Order: sequence, then C-alpha cells, then structure tokens
Amino acid sequence: MKKFLRFALLASAVVALAALAAGCGSKKKSSSGSTTTNSSSSSGGGGVVGSGSFSSGSPAKGGTYTVGWEASFGFTDNFDPTGEYLGNAWGLYSNLMLRPLVGYKHQPGAAGNETVGDLATEAPKPTDNGLTYTYKLRSGVKFGPPVNRAVTSKDVAYAMNRLANPKDGGQYSFYYTVIKGWDAVANGKATTVSGISTPDNSTIVFHLTKPAGDFNLRMSMPATAPIPSEVGKCFEGKPGDYGRDVVSSGPYMLQGADKVKATCPMKAMSGYDGANGNHIILVRNPAYDQSTDPYRKNYINTFKFVVNSNADDIFAKVQSGAYQDEVSSPAPKTIRQYATNSSLKPRMIPNVGDRTNYLSMNLTQAPFDDIHVRKAMNWIVDKNALQKAWGGPIPGSIATHIVPPVLFNNGLAEYDPYATPNEAGDLAKAQAEMKQSKYDPGKTGKCTASACKGVLTIADTRGVDTRMVPILEADAAKIGIKLTVRAINGAYPTIQTPAKNIPLAERPSWGKDYADPYTFFAELFASGTIIKSGNTNYALVGITPEIAKKVGATGNLNNVPTVDPQINACSVKLSEERTSCWENVDRKLMTSVVPWVPYLWPNNVFIIAPNVTHWNYDQFTDGPAYSSVSVK
Amino acid sequence: MALPSVAVSRKTPKRLFWERFRQDKAALVGGVVIATLIFIAIFGGPIASDITGHPQNTTYSSMTDAYGVPLGPNSQFWFGADAAGRDLFVRTMYGARTSLFVGIVASGFAVLIGTIVGLTAGFFGGWVDSGLSRFADVLLAVPQILIAVGIVAACSTSKDGCLGGLVQPGLTVVIAVITLFSWSYIARIVRGYTLSLREKEFVESARAAGASNLRILRSEILPNLIGPLIVYTTLLIPTNILFEAALSYLGLGVPPDEASWGSILTDASQLYDVAWWLMLFPGAFLIITTLAFNLLGDGLRDAFDVRSER
Repeated sequence: MKKFLRFALLASAVVALAALAAGCGSKKKSSSGSTTTNSSSSSGGGGVVGSGSFSSGSPAKGGTYTVGWEASFGFTDNFDPTGEYLGNAWGLYSNLMLRPLVGYKHQPGAAGNETVGDLATEAPKPTDNGLTYTYKLRSGVKFGPPVNRAVTSKDVAYAMNRLANPKDGGQYSFYYTVIKGWDAVANGKATTVSGISTPDNSTIVFHLTKPAGDFNLRMSMPATAPIPSEVGKCFEGKPGDYGRDVVSSGPYMLQGADKVKATCPMKAMSGYDGANGNHIILVRNPAYDQSTDPYRKNYINTFKFVVNSNADDIFAKVQSGAYQDEVSSPAPKTIRQYATNSSLKPRMIPNVGDRTNYLSMNLTQAPFDDIHVRKAMNWIVDKNALQKAWGGPIPGSIATHIVPPVLFNNGLAEYDPYATPNEAGDLAKAQAEMKQSKYDPGKTGKCTASACKGVLTIADTRGVDTRMVPILEADAAKIGIKLTVRAINGAYPTIQTPAKNIPLAERPSWGKDYADPYTFFAELFASGTIIKSGNTNYALVGITPEIAKKVGATGNLNNVPTVDPQINACSVKLSEERTSCWENVDRKLMTSVVPWVPYLWPNNVFIIAPNVTHWNYDQFTDGPAYSSVSVK
Repeated sequence: MALPSVAVSRKTPKRLFWERFRQDKAALVGGVVIATLIFIAIFGGPIASDITGHPQNTTYSSMTDAYGVPLGPNSQFWFGADAAGRDLFVRTMYGARTSLFVGIVASGFAVLIGTIVGLTAGFFGGWVDSGLSRFADVLLAVPQILIAVGIVAACSTSKDGCLGGLVQPGLTVVIAVITLFSWSYIARIVRGYTLSLREKEFVESARAAGASNLRILRSEILPNLIGPLIVYTTLLIPTNILFEAALSYLGLGVPPDEASWGSILTDASQLYDVAWWLMLFPGAFLIITTLAFNLLGDGLRDAFDVRSER
C-alpha cells in the first residue's frame, strides 16, 4: 500500500510538473506570439546596430554605477596591466585608471578608433624615416595614492622595461620587439631597453629597428601606461601580483589605495580582492586633474564591478535597476525580449565589435589540405542559419571576409568572394568546387574519399555552439564531408595545440588588439606565430616542415601557402597605403589561401538599466565607455 | 480417529516469486513501462522520423524565430523544436535509445565486474578481500563527477580516444566512465552475500564432495546471487541513466549529433522560461523511466525476499 501511495505521489508530481511547465509556457507563449511579429519587422531593416550610445537628458555628476560581471576577475593576469590581455580589463584601465601615452576619445564607431594624445600631448608623427617616435608628456598628470606625485617619462620607460622582461609576465610584448634593444632585455642580456631614452621628465623617445606604421596604436595599450617604480619594484618577478595594487594615473583608483603605503611589501588595496574575489571597486582619484584630460567625462562617483555567474540574474538585475550595466552575453531570448518591447528596446545597444567569428580549417589536414575543399566549405556553409544561431542580426552581421570593414575605414565593405543568395549557401557552386578536388576523383560534387569520413571537428559547449554544430554537420554532409564533432567545455587549449592536428575548429573568434588589421594578420596568419601551445594560427598558414617539427604538428606539409611576405610588407606602410595593402592581404587569404569560413562579425550587445541617463560604446575597448556614463 | 488427508501442493521458488510479484501492481506497471521504453528505444527514433519526415539532425529554420529562439509544438512538430531548430519529438525518441543504451550497457558491465570482484573478495577472504574491498572503497570515496569530467575531457579531444584507442570518444567513453564508478556498489553487495553464503551447509557439502573453488562459485554461490543481482541491476540502471544525463548536462556526455535526454535538458536549462517544451518532454521521459525501473526493482526485491514487509 505504501508503495502505491509513493507511486501515486510520484505520478502526481510528474503531472504537476508537466502542468506547471505548460502553464509557465503558456504565459510566455502569449507574449512571444506577439513579439515574434514585432521582431520580424524590427529585424527586417538594415539598421539593427544602434548608434552605440544612449542619452536621456543632461548627464549629471554623482552616483554609483554597478556592473554585473559574468566571468571571474582573474582575467588573463590577475588585473596586472603588464600582463593583462583581456578586453574587459582594458575597458577599466583605458577609461578609468591608466593613461598611456596614446589614447582614444572613448566613442563608438570609427571615431573611437582614432588615436589622440592621452598622457602625451599628441600622437606624434615619426621622424628618421619612420624609425623614431618622440612623445611629449602633458604637465599636471599625477599618480594617485599612495604615490601622489607627477608622472614622468621615466615611469613610462619603467613600464616598458617591465613589459620587455619575461619574468614580469607581459603577454603582448611581441608588439614592441621593433624597439631597439628590446630583445636584449627579453633574452636577459640587459635590464633596460636601449632604444628608449628619456632626455627629460616630460620627453620619451623610442628608436625602432624598422618602421612600424602602427606604433602609436601599440603605445595605446594598457601595459605601456606609466608605472611608478617605487611600487613596481615590489612586484618584480611576480607576474599578476601588481594587479592588487595598481597605481592610478587616471580619474579613478582602486578603493583603499589611500590606505596603503608605497613601501615593500605592499598591502593589497581593498578595491580588488584577487582573481577569486567578487568585486572591483573604483573611487575617484584625488590626484587627478580634469583639465589635463579632454576625453574623459567622469560623471560617476563610484564604480562597482560585481561577479555574478548567473547571466539570467544579471539581466534581471539590470532590468530592475539593481545593476546599471553588464559584462555578459545576452541570450537570444533576452535579445528578443528587449527588441520586441518598445519601452525596453532603447536600453539594448548593439555595437560593432571589431571582431570576426570563423571556422578554421587546418591547411595540413585532409581534406582541408586541398584548397578546393576549403573553397567548397565557403560556398556551402549557411551563414544565415549560423547568424540565427547567434540570435539573428542584432548580435552580429554576416562576415564575408577576414577583417571587419571598420578596420579598413569601411574598405571591403562590399567584398564577398563567396556570395550566395541570402548568404544561405550555394550547393551548385560548392559541388562545382568540390569536383576540382583530389578528394572527389569521380567528379560527383561530393567528397567521396575516406578522408572525408569522420573529419574531427572541435566545438565548444556553449549554448550557441550546440545550436551551430547541427547546422555545420548538415552543410558539410551536402558535399560529402561527415564531421565527427567533439564538444569540449573550453575548446581553445585543444585547438591552440598544433600537435593535436585538429582539421576543423568551430570555436574561433578574434577581435582586434588595436584598430589596425595587423592585429589580425600577424597574430592569425604569420608563420612566426605558430607555437607549441597557445597558438593562434589555427589554420597553420605558412607552416614549414621545420616549424612543424618544432611544434609537433604532422600532416601534409607540402607547399602550405604563406602570407608572410605580404604581412611584412604591409606592416611598415603608413596611412592609406597601409590600409590598401592590408585589404589585399585579406583578398589573398580569402581567394588563394582560404584558411577560414568567416561567418559573423559580432556586435557587442549591451543592456543598461532604467536609471542610466547617458551611455556610449568605447570602440577601442569594445565595451562601455565608463568614463562617459551617468545615472540619475 | 484418523485425520482426513489434505493434499498440499509444493510451490517452487519460481512460483512463490511470481505469486508475490504479480500482486505488486506498481511493479507490474513499471515492467510494462520499461518494455514500452525498450520498444521506443529500438524502434521509436526511426518510426518517429518516418512519421514526421524529420531526420533527427536536420535543422529547420522555420522552427526558430527571428532571434533564434525555438518554436513550440504544432501539428508538424509535436514536441516543438530544440534550440537548433530540430524536431524535439524525433530527438526525444532517439534520446530514449541513447539513454537506455548507456544505462543498460553501463549497468551490465558494472554488474559483471562487480560480481567477479565481489565473489572473489567474499569467497577467498584474507588479503584478496582486503585489497579488492579497499580498492572499491577508494572508488566510492573519489569525487565521481570531477574525475568523470577529467576522463571524458581527456578522452574526447582526439579521434583516437584513450588507452591506445580502447576507449573511444563518444558513447564508449561515457559508458566506460559510468562503469568505472558503478561496479564498486555491486561488488560490495555481492561480497556481503558471498561471505554469508560460503558458510552455508550446501557449500560445505559441496566442498566435502570435492568440488573445486571455481565449481562452488559457479554452481553453488552464483545461482543464489541471481535474485539480488537482478534487483540491484534494475536499481542501478536508472542511476546510470541519470549519471549520463548529468555528464551531458555538463557538456561531457554523448556527441552533439546523438540525442540523449540529458543533452536535451542541457539546452533546456538556458531556455526553459521561453521554451517549456524543451524541459517538459525529455524531463518527463527521464522521470518516468527512473520511476519505472525503481518500481520494478522494488517489486523484484520484495518478491525475492520472503521476509520483506509490504
């Protein structure tokens, strides 16, 4: 009898659950029924990407700005600017805490990628045939507590020496190897970079070994911002540790900076409690002089960045006003909610992300060692369906080549070498290409070779990956390629290891480091960047048998195409000539190398709270321009 | 005065078992449900695909809205669509195959290994017992999900798998991991029964008759373990189905192109508030399956054990 009671109870529970779920659903269904109609019309136009800004009335000073943060605060180097390589951390540095020689206007769009003087009075033109850059520092720029003194050129030189020394954890020091004497420090043969001189406290000169047309851009990155040596010396040889005591040269500082002393060993400032902590709190820097800074508005009194691993909760709190902003990824359902509700819609702001999402094909692995197969993949992939998997046109526009057009000053905006109706793929063209492949000896339009059966494909396990994978499997199958998909939670370490010989990677996405195509081409296609682990040239463009041996890659290494000469040639050019040169590299990659199927230029979609009165996007950091936000 | 003779019919153990078992209606319902589920697992996917005309991995862009959110049940998609726009009815039917296959096969391996280990430990005793029992204890003590995450991740990143290709990525990794963490339960139970059985008179008499250890194990002890083994197997299967679901929920289960209830529920976790059907249908099947196995297991245990209380 007891058992029957239990049976009945459990059965009732099932029925109740079903009824509950159906009930919840029916409520949602009625709203989604109406929103679907609205969404069609709203997404029908081309202007799905907003202006990158929001304004309701005059911004006022004061208030607290709380940001829900989905990831941890470990970033890539525990918030130590010398090693930190994550855009979200750069958003805090660039807007609020650090002043490199060169900066930005913290605006959306192309204007936000233009360099301006920040700590320096201007972004200088090079002299000596492009080999010398001389920066003059603004007067009146001071370090905040506990240092409280004027920033000098020697503080910039100290930061650069720190960046050059591998023991201090610099993660993008490769950008500065063009400075004379850099390698000597990197190799431990010197302690200071000989190509950096400081003739006086307000002048710093960089001598290069070869011209670098984007050197000013390189000097805008946070690791180049001044670091006071009296604090920095406490953390030498301890990568990441300086993150808890970052000394501000900008308008805000870590909370508690005025409670510690600049003597070794330093106590940690309370505003950042480490990689596993749950907050970063920034307060106004009393040493900051607004008159030295034409580009930051600094309306807010206190910034609180709070870890919250529940994205749904973040968006609920933003909607209720408990948070003002978020660093998360709105799911399609959230995007739909905002896009189809006229009162919410203005508070969802999509922004061009200077980023490309792509499928990477390994040039050494069958069947992708045949360019015709790679081209066939470009013809067959239904980019429209992939865009929908990401949530439709609001989260991103369909990518038609490597580098987002905004980095070419909107050059190549119309370039689409694999254009298909509605970007949904073209079976006839894909099959025509496949017929030319060695893997289709019978000229059937399908890959009939055994190499096309069980092609290992590494995907991630995010929601969007589970939506994309079936689409890719179905598309590849149309030309005879049967994918064997391995979904890995955190796929990057696997695809960044050349020795694993992964033929196809679904996960890759790449964003600019600064507004120059060099940060795409050099990182993703130069043979010199192929390394044993942490490799970003997933396609192994330009790999040679020597490099393959070094990194443990095996496969078809015969005549793998390279773009090294083109990258080297473009990197020394300036202005329009430089842009045009990079455009040609993009064309060559898309037609003669074909390492990718680029499918999305993602937008960064931000959702802000009802009490935010001013917000705009920062194109350099691809995040909120915290220096411009205000609340009521 | 002589007493009238009364005919007493002798009941075989099988008949006693069946008489007890058939009185347990809940267990019978469980058995019928399991039989139905097995039918669905074998034929359900292809039949569903055939009826609807929707292959399990085909995506239908018409079944997601402009924002990529899946649409609910309609006349053509009876259970609605999943997050990728695939037919959820077809995937749920195919999911039955995966979930039951993993649950039954992994449980089968676990019972096989657990029986061998438990018999050996219980019968021989001494250092053999100590060694095998402590090893089983260690497996029971380790954080299973954590280790499982490591093993599945390590074995699923290449085509070759682990242990020189013995453990292949996909279902075999999942089955291997579940087996690894399941057999020790069975081993402990079998060891306990064996310790008791080896002291029984019929074992003593077999030994006195000169039977070898292997013969005693095979002919005297093992047959007496069949009842408990059947019971515990039916209880282990739903546990392992849930284990597979948990692995899939963590993104570590079956490959993306093979539907399982766990992997469908993973999608549901992100969308349940706008796509209730993703949670409801595979969730209901999962609950019904575990419930059915549990009821059947309870019924079998009661029927085998004459001392149990109803």
